[in-house]
Amino acid sequence: MNETKVEPSETTKTSNRSAEALDRLLTFAAVIILFIIFSIVAPYFFTVRNVLDLALQTCTITMMGIGVTFCIITGGIDLSIGSVVALTGTIAVIVAIRGVPIWLSIIIGVLVGVVTGSINGLMVTRLKLPPFIATLGMMMVARGVALTITNANSYSAPQGFSGLGNDTLFGTGRQFPGIPYPVIIMIVVALVFGFLLSRTRLGRYIYATGSNEEAARLSGININQIKVTVYIICGMLSGLVGVILASRMVSSQPNSAVGYELNAIAAAIIGGTSFMGGVGTILGTVIGSFIIGILTVGLTMAGANYFMQQIVIGLVVIGSVTLDQVRTRR
Amino acid sequence: MAVKNPSSAREVILEVENVSKSFPGVKALDRVSFDLRKGEVHALVGENGAGKSTLMKILSGVYQPDEGTIRYKGKAVSFRDVNDSHKAGVGIIYQELNLLPHLSVAANIFIGREPLTKYGTLDEKKMNADAAEILNRLNIRLDPTIILQRLPVSKQQMVEIAKALSLNSEVLIMDEPTSALSEAEIDELFSIIHALRDHGVAIIYISHRLEELRHIVDRISIFRDGHSVSTDDFTAIRPYEIVSRMVGRKIEAVFPPKQNVPTKEKLLEVRNIVRAGILHDISFDLYRGEILGFAGLMGAGRSELGRAIFGADPIDSGDVIMGDRKLSLNSPADTIKAGIAYLSEDRKAQGLAVKMRLTENVTMANVQKISKRFGVISRDQEMEATQRYVKDLNIKTPSLTQIVNNLSGGNQQKAVVAKWLFKDSKILIFDEPTRGIDVGTKYAIYELIGRLAREGKGIIMISSDLPEIVGLTDRMLVLHEGSLAATLTTAKTTPEEILRYAAGVTKSIQGDARMSDQKPTQARKQP
Repeated sequence: MNETKVEPSETTKTSNRSAEALDRLLTFAAVIILFIIFSIVAPYFFTVRNVLDLALQTCTITMMGIGVTFCIITGGIDLSIGSVVALTGTIAVIVAIRGVPIWLSIIIGVLVGVVTGSINGLMVTRLKLPPFIATLGMMMVARGVALTITNANSYSAPQGFSGLGNDTLFGTGRQFPGIPYPVIIMIVVALVFGFLLSRTRLGRYIYATGSNEEAARLSGININQIKVTVYIICGMLSGLVGVILASRMVSSQPNSAVGYELNAIAAAIIGGTSFMGGVGTILGTVIGSFIIGILTVGLTMAGANYFMQQIVIGLVVIGSVTLDQVRTRR
Repeated sequence: MAVKNPSSAREVILEVENVSKSFPGVKALDRVSFDLRKGEVHALVGENGAGKSTLMKILSGVYQPDEGTIRYKGKAVSFRDVNDSHKAGVGIIYQELNLLPHLSVAANIFIGREPLTKYGTLDEKKMNADAAEILNRLNIRLDPTIILQRLPVSKQQMVEIAKALSLNSEVLIMDEPTSALSEAEIDELFSIIHALRDHGVAIIYISHRLEELRHIVDRISIFRDGHSVSTDDFTAIRPYEIVSRMVGRKIEAVFPPKQNVPTKEKLLEVRNIVRAGILHDISFDLYRGEILGFAGLMGAGRSELGRAIFGADPIDSGDVIMGDRKLSLNSPADTIKAGIAYLSEDRKAQGLAVKMRLTENVTMANVQKISKRFGVISRDQEMEATQRYVKDLNIKTPSLTQIVNNLSGGNQQKAVVAKWLFKDSKILIFDEPTRGIDVGTKYAIYELIGRLAREGKGIIMISSDLPEIVGLTDRMLVLHEGSLAATLTTAKTTPEEILRYAAGVTKSIQGDARMSDQKPTQARKQP
């Protein structure tokens, strides 16, 4: 990456590099250690079927986490994503029932997410609302709209709507059941948005805005535009998760995804995204959500109940951030 | 204004003509004119609030002027934003670092105009190589891939300079570029500035440090109260002329007659206060009934010294002694108990709970005094105490239970004073007590401060308003870059002398400034 001709202080250079490499290794190591522990504790944990299942279960929180990571890096937050997932899924199913082609209803669902995201972004930039407040409001409004238009009922989706969430690719029958579509979508989303964040100008400006908003502004960056963009990205990914979830359930569930926003935020935080802004990676968030996923599935298989899982995940959030604090203070 | 300059044949690149800019309540610039030539270093000096920074922000497109014209390369221009001025070739290095701490050095240099690959992605390789080249050209030894916040502040400043230069600026504005640099780094910076000048770059150099100007400056313009006072060749003007033009205004008689007479009774002994990089070995005494001023230019460490004595900021070494007891300076708890009060510059943020009632604010620091058993607050006693101060300090309020936010600035200031008097404070440190207060109310505050001193309090008055220090204090400490430059008896000094010490130009003009700070008390006039 750097083939510069200067020969600056070699020591700072190498220690800098190795420290970053170590950080990256540590988070990876956490995932691997968790895998090993659960493979020993729960004998069926490390099987093809279970690993695929794990990936399928984790992809909602991963994609929502990726979206919210964008917001958090700019120093914002999006609390509305759980409700938006419910709203977009509901709308997609309803329009599909009304006879809109499946592919179009899926796009409509995603676009609803884009709309809520735009509204969030405009509230933050035009009305100057704190992101916490703006998206808290949107969280309630989106949930309310989903409940109102369905009268709090769930409707079955038409035939064919289930494909997106339930079909698989590369299946070979009994030995290998195939990779579920949502997992493939998750991988593509992670790659695309990871690339966007690390390799493009937009990504660079997102970091810049969160790192020092004033400096970014004085460098000629349109920070309002950047902020609107991250909320749109977040809303769009929530919309995508919404239609996937609706497809998996083959129905509109206005009461679904309650509290998912908090899991997504937890994933980003465990993955090293700083609430102060300016710091965070997509890879980190993916790892963070898999840590949560592995803990959930693994603890279940090891016989721990749901309440126990909550305690463990809560402690992991606190522990990982504490570790981060200790490391950066050093 | 009339410029007699041998190098006046040089081409004028930037011309400011009768530019004015107002903000609510202040006229920051009043028909200012100024010109900049190719290949010159043009110093811009003036006291705080003279309008330097406002002009710089106009030149870089952050603000737009209310009236007047700016001509750049002979054409009238108006920069709408920073991008505009960047594109035209006007670079600016801000006083406060304006960098992105989480990004690499190269990313900081190229922010807003990153090189792209043919696929439209960031070309990190080219960016790092280009950054390395720029740093090399400036003789700055830095790895462009290092994350900025891992660098010391001085290196970050170098990055800021590299960033401005990478824009291929023809005009470069530097606002106090040396404030965070060490001697060696300043030399480095100066050689960079020399090289740039030789390449025809026009540089506007803003500084409070008059002594460093002679190394680099060709011409100097002096600003005062939003006006441009003069422009001269640097060699044609004497340091004391600069200072006296900076001060300019004569001191109006807006101060009440002196009420207090300092005693010889020591209230406070401050010994060898050190806070690395900020305060350098400062010692002084404060006497009962005395008003002691802290004077100095912005960034000299006035407020920092006040806060250090109060225990609000951590210090590295030094003692504050009251009576025969050394105070613990880890937090304000001990100093408050001992009777020191700090009335901060930002009343709303630090001095008052603005959304609470006057009564609650007055008693806030000493609730025990009005508490009955089990910590239950006696409303009657609270009202009684507040009533006393409202009368005593002449606080204008419709009721004792008025929300403090609704009081005027002057009355808020009095409320803070009441709070500390209720706490039985013996020493009151006023940090910019009249900032943002109208002239009439100022008088009342001055009167109050004088009366407190007469009643036997020890007063420390921190102010950037020189007339205020001169008009009110008995003695003053003049700080320069965190060191005690002089301890002066107010009656025996002049604003010019104070400013000379404050600007650090004393050595070249008269004697050794250190003489007076070794025997601070002897300079005092005996009552």
